[in-house]
Amino acid sequence: MRQTGAYSGILSRKTGPHSLPLARIKKIMKKSSDDVKMISGEAPIVFSKACELFIEELTKRAWIIMTNNNMHEKRRSTLQKDDVASAIIATDVFDFLVNLVSSTHDNNCELNDEESHQDIMEDIQNS
Amino acid sequence: MAEVPASPGGGCGSHESGGERSPQSNVREQDRYLPIANIGRIMKKGLPANAKIAKEAKDTVQECVSEFISFITSEASDKCQKEKRKTINGDDLVWSLTTLGFEDYIEPLKAYLIRYREMEVCIASPHQ
Repeated sequence: MRQTGAYSGILSRKTGPHSLPLARIKKIMKKSSDDVKMISGEAPIVFSKACELFIEELTKRAWIIMTNNNMHEKRRSTLQKDDVASAIIATDVFDFLVNLVSSTHDNNCELNDEESHQDIMEDIQNS
Repeated sequence: MAEVPASPGGGCGSHESGGERSPQSNVREQDRYLPIANIGRIMKKGLPANAKIAKEAKDTVQECVSEFISFITSEASDKCQKEKRKTINGDDLVWSLTTLGFEDYIEPLKAYLIRYREMEVCIASPHQ
């Protein structure tokens, strides 16, 4: 993103050097609430980077959990949906996503040291 | 609605495609989500080289990202309403991210914006 080549991308004023399409981000923003009226030109750009950071964090956490869960089993190198769900449940800032995954989390992963996270999930499902 | 998003004064067409968008025959890539290819690419960046990602995992992250955008935007929108402003700007989003616990994102975000603004100064913006 810091290379000179990336700068020329900005001339297109579409995604430019941004890793996510700005117009699509803007659409999603508008759908989030009826109160959203106008969006500055910079806002989708902020999200372009913020979403990138979000995706990276969520993915890394999921990977760490998967790795921890599989230390005693045969190592797998494919990140699964349940790993993402586990990361969401285990991370406070991702609480707003719990509803997205609580119905899909199958308890497939056997948590060794992280049984408390399973308890949390069950609480959520029961509430 | 397949309308092209109208950016006031936006110069070249505001088509969301940058030339490499996947065809919209894929149901999951409606306007509600960001393209799965972009998301998959970003996911891979943070993982070891040998890592693979199940499609369902990408789908889940794709949904989460849209939820993330809505979540942050709603908070920013509330702030604007309280302050009687109509336009959500970058600072509102930065505030919203901080308020909702994503303060770790702020530093890299600000650095990114500074670089972007520097680029903008070099290229005369057609609007505003």
